[in-house]
Formats: sequence, C-alpha cells, structure tokens
Amino acid sequence: MMRAASDRTGRISRRRALGAGAALALVLAGATVAAVRTRGYAVPPGRRLVALTPWQFVVVRSAARRIAAPDREGDPSIPSADDTDVPGSIDLWVSRMHGRVRRDFGRFLAYLEHVAPVGAGFASRFTRLSPADQDAVLAALEQSPHDRLRAGFEGLKSLVFIGYYRDVRTWKLARYDGPLLARPLGGWR
Amino acid sequence: MIAGVVRGREVTGDLVLEVDAVVVGTGAGGSVALRELARAGLNVVALEEGPCSTSGELTQREDEMLPLLFQDAGARMTQDLAIRVLQGRGVGGSTVHNTNLCKRTPDEILDLWARRYGVLGAAPGDLRPAFEAIERDLSVSEIDAPMRNANNDALRAGCEALGWRGGPLKHNRVGCQQSGFCELGCAYDAKQNALKIVVPQAVIAGARVYSDVTVLRLSHDGARVTGVHAEARDAAGLPRARVEVLAPVVVLAASAVGSPALARRSGVPDPYGQLGRGLRMHPGAIAAGRFDREIAGWRGIPQSYECTEHLSHEEGSDERVWIVPAFAHPIGAAATLPGFGAAHMAGMRAYSNLAVLTAMVHDETSGEVAVDDDGGPVLRYAMSEADRRQLAKGLVACARLLLAAGAREVTIPAVPALRVRTVAELERLDLAVIRPHSVPMTAVHPMGTMRMGEDPHKSVVRSTGEHHQLRGLFVADGSLFPTSIGGPPQISIYAFALHLAPHVVERARGR
Repeated sequence: MMRAASDRTGRISRRRALGAGAALALVLAGATVAAVRTRGYAVPPGRRLVALTPWQFVVVRSAARRIAAPDREGDPSIPSADDTDVPGSIDLWVSRMHGRVRRDFGRFLAYLEHVAPVGAGFASRFTRLSPADQDAVLAALEQSPHDRLRAGFEGLKSLVFIGYYRDVRTWKLARYDGPLLARPLGGWR
Repeated sequence: MIAGVVRGREVTGDLVLEVDAVVVGTGAGGSVALRELARAGLNVVALEEGPCSTSGELTQREDEMLPLLFQDAGARMTQDLAIRVLQGRGVGGSTVHNTNLCKRTPDEILDLWARRYGVLGAAPGDLRPAFEAIERDLSVSEIDAPMRNANNDALRAGCEALGWRGGPLKHNRVGCQQSGFCELGCAYDAKQNALKIVVPQAVIAGARVYSDVTVLRLSHDGARVTGVHAEARDAAGLPRARVEVLAPVVVLAASAVGSPALARRSGVPDPYGQLGRGLRMHPGAIAAGRFDREIAGWRGIPQSYECTEHLSHEEGSDERVWIVPAFAHPIGAAATLPGFGAAHMAGMRAYSNLAVLTAMVHDETSGEVAVDDDGGPVLRYAMSEADRRQLAKGLVACARLLLAAGAREVTIPAVPALRVRTVAELERLDLAVIRPHSVPMTAVHPMGTMRMGEDPHKSVVRSTGEHHQLRGLFVADGSLFPTSIGGPPQISIYAFALHLAPHVVERARGR
C-alpha cells in the first residue's frame, strides 16, 4: 500500500512539475511579449489618459495621423490629427465603450501594431514604420479578406473621424456650415 | 427638464416604491403605456435608463449628441461587427433623435400577422382608432413641397425621371426651423415626440418618471411578475442608489434589444426558446451621388420624400427595399465614405455637393438578442442571401435614381469602392461585393424579439401584449412585431402601445 501510494504520489509530482514548468514558461513568454509589446512608448508630458494605455495611445496617434492625413501637404489651413487632438478624443470615446467592445478594440490595436505590419511584409512595429509603409499596412487592413479585421479598421477610422471632424477648423474644407445654433454670420465656410 | 421627472442623481438613498404598474423605458411605446395607465387613475412609475434632456442641451454637434442620445454612444454593433445599430436612450427614447417619419403599419403586414402568426384583434380596422388618435396627439401631417431640401429633391427628380413610384412623407413636427439636425435631437422643440408630448401628458395625469435609472432585472416567481430591481446613477453614470419597485404589472418598453435582454437576464420563463428570437432591423446602406451643383444635404428636413418602386409588403415579395434620403453630418459622412488619408480628405471636399440615398431592406433574416456574461445585449444577425440580394438591388436602384437626377458620379462605399458615371457602368457592376462587412451597414429599426401571437410555441406574448407564462408582464415596444414592417416604426409602436393599453390597465386593476 505504501509503495503504491508513493508511486502514485511520484506520478502526480512529475505531472505537476511538468505542468508547473509549462505554466512558468507560458508566464515568462507572456511577460516577455507584454514587456516587448508595451515598452518604448511615451505619451506627451502632461497627457493624462482616461482609458487607453500609453502604448495604445501611441498606436492610435500614429494611425490617426495617416487616416486623417491631409490631401495638400504643407497647407497650413488643414489642421492635423494632432492639432485636433484626435488621440485624446479617442481616449475619451473608448472610456464610454462597453467593456467587451473596449477589450476588442485593445486587441485590434495590438494586432495593428505587431501583427499587421508582418502581414504586409514589414519587420517592424506599425509605429516605427514610415508614413508610406503605415499607409500600406492600413490599406491592407481596409482590404483584408478577414471580416473582423476590416471591421476593426472601420471602427478605428470612425473614431479618428469623430475626433477630427468635431473640430471647427475641419469644417471649412468640407464646406460645412456647422450647428445652426452657433453658426456665425456667413457660417464657418 | 420636464416637471415631475426625477433624475438619478436626485435620488438621495435606496428607494422602495409600491405601485400598480411600472414601465421600463420611455420611448414611443413606454410613454404611451405610462400615460394610459396614469389616465386610468393608476399609481404608475416609469424607469428610464438614459437622461432626460432638454432642448437647451441639444447642441447640434455629433460628438456631443452621440454619447448623450444613443446607446453605446452610437457604437452599438451586431456581434459580427457587420451592422451598426443606432438606438436611442433617454426620456423619449429614439423619438428624440429620429427623423420624425410617420407611416402606419401597412395593412398587408397586419393581415399577415393575423393569418400567419395568429395575432388577434390587430386587423387594420382594429388599429385604425389608435393610429388616428396618436397622429392627432403628435400633429402628424404631410411635409409640404417647399420644405423639401435639395437632397430630397434629388430623390424626387430621380423618381420622376425614371417614372418610379415615390411621394412625400408625413412627419410629426410643428414650428420646424428646418435646421437639418433632427437626428441629433431638436434644439427648437419642434418634434412632437414622446419627450415633448406624451411623457408630459403622463406626468400631468399623475405618473412619476425616474431618469438615469437602470433596471437590472425583473422580479417574478415563475408565474407572476412582482416588480423590478434597478439602480439609480449619478451624473457620471456611476451607481448611486438601489431602487426596488414592487408592482403586479411590469411593462417592458426598452426596445427590441433592451426588453428581451432584460427578460433573459431575469430568467423569464421561455419554455419554447422564443425569447429574443426573430430580430429584424431594416438593415441599410448608402449610395452617394456627386453633383456639379451644391446640395448641402445637411440643411433642411433630412427625410421628406420616399421611393417605393421596389417595396411591396406582400408576403414572399421579391421587392423589399425602401429608399429614402440619408444625409449625415461630417463625422457620419467621413466614417461612411470609402478610403482614408489624402484621398479621403479629397473626397470630403466634395461633401457639400453630395446627395445621399439609403436602401433599407424589409428584412426576412431572423436574428437574435442574447446576453453576455455582464448581462449586456448581444445582437446576432447573419443576413440571409435573399436579403443581401435585396440590399444590392436597393443600392443599384439608389445609384440609378442619383444618375437620373443628374449626379456626375455615384459611389457605393463597398470594399473595394464602387464608382459609376453611367447606367451602362452600373449594369456591369459585380454586385457580389455588396454584402455585410463589405459595405458599411446601419440599422435603426430593431423589432420582433418578443413577438405577439396566440401560439406560445411561436410567440412570447399574447395578442394582448401579456407574456404567455408570466402574468402581469407586458411588452409595449417594437419587440411585439412578428415580422419586419418595411417602414419607419415609431407610429406603429405608439399605436400598438395605445391599442393594447386597455389590457394593461385591466391587469393593473387586479382583474
């Protein structure tokens, strides 16, 4: 009886040891990936984030600059995504999202930063690519054969344009009058 | 602020209310049920999840109104992320942000519900008094031709050029300033809606209304409903106090998404697996025509004309598309137009020259409202191939209308974007790309998730609106509809709530 118990105990111990080893390896791998994924991202001094993490903020900022890129380079009348604080707007908007949607959005940003560039033939994070290469990654997502990736891109695009076209300075390029309640004589156009 | 409406932030401590009836939701259906119960002399209270907005808070800015007036700040989606579902929240529900269209439930649909779904007492003749009464309450009238803006006039011109069936719509507005901001709430109080008309009538009749109060679950013993458990929220949306309402009658009017979600997370009996099933939405997509002249479609009444050339309400019809103008303000337009970056901005420069039409499908697809682990609604809706073909047909029809009206180019924002300049080019299009996830789709008319009928194997509530298994639980919103109705549902929801109100009153009186 004692021997049987000892054998059984030994088998369990080995299994446990193997399981613990595998779990430890997973944890270490996860921690490494997390550390790599989230290091090297800095938000501007004084920026207080409501919902996004620093690395998410930086990814959003890079994407917003391309999605709302000007059609006339150097035209000072066109505000940039940074001028209109699109990333700040997205941070606020994400804070209002249902928890499930917010998690999905975070996963999409991780995909955009780390996986989508590889899929488009680049060996670098999205945020470290040139603007032209970032455009190629975004275009690949927009045209992706995978429905959820296209939906993720459309969601990000919508958030960028909420932030961009809420700004009075952008209305002129669209020849939009703005709210009648606050419309100055002659409109914003 | 409507006198008599208590905001969640004003609830100072936990609250227990004992009433004859409690109404969950204050949109078209809830407001009418509330009013009729109050007018019958009953002690009734309504709980509304969203805020009670005044016209002074309606700023005509998309970025501010989306979070104020819409569920999930306008970002509610089907589970597969294919369709954006715009639904209102707040006192008045979707009647606060809708475009005021008033069309009765078509007779063919009412006949179908009687014939196919066993709905009793809701034939066209039975409903007529309710339609007439609510149309009087809301001052429904036809929109005069001089009030038609350039976007709507493009649709009219297209219909006339092609010889297609079309005509003016009716609406519920008085003193309209034609500002064009209807879908962001009326800053001029011209909408004769639940917020302005019906809820105040209910309050005058003695009803109490609590805004910013989320109903967490219904209480019941498996055979009778006994009330609701809710949570009052402060200005930041954080829980502030518990609210318990003890009532022998509960009226669910939280929309065809909110009502079944609440019922499901409350463990309402569902022996035949019908609860939440049957979701219809009128999914739609748009086509944008670029004109040489300015359209400025954001100015004036957004929807005053319709095209019904491809719309029949007969069962089994292959003509199931309703076409109306659908102009958006810059954020909505930018999100819908194809592409990004410099090319997108170049496209936005043509914004003021665009006329936009939407094709909505009178859908046969049967979706479902389930709940996630947090109790929130999950909308499952996989568009059928037959409905997809209707959508494609509708978008082609929109393009034909726009070209006939003089558009230089028409864009259907699919992936890849479809652009045509002539009918010949239109006829060569590969319509297979018009499908969910390829075209941005929006739905604004969820319905059908707690269907009425006499057969409990096929429906959730009786023809009286009362739940088959749970005495005292009534439904008074678009959940009731056994099928799509193929048109704007607000008047149908108001009218059904009014038509069924005597049954609710009778039960609340203990009979």
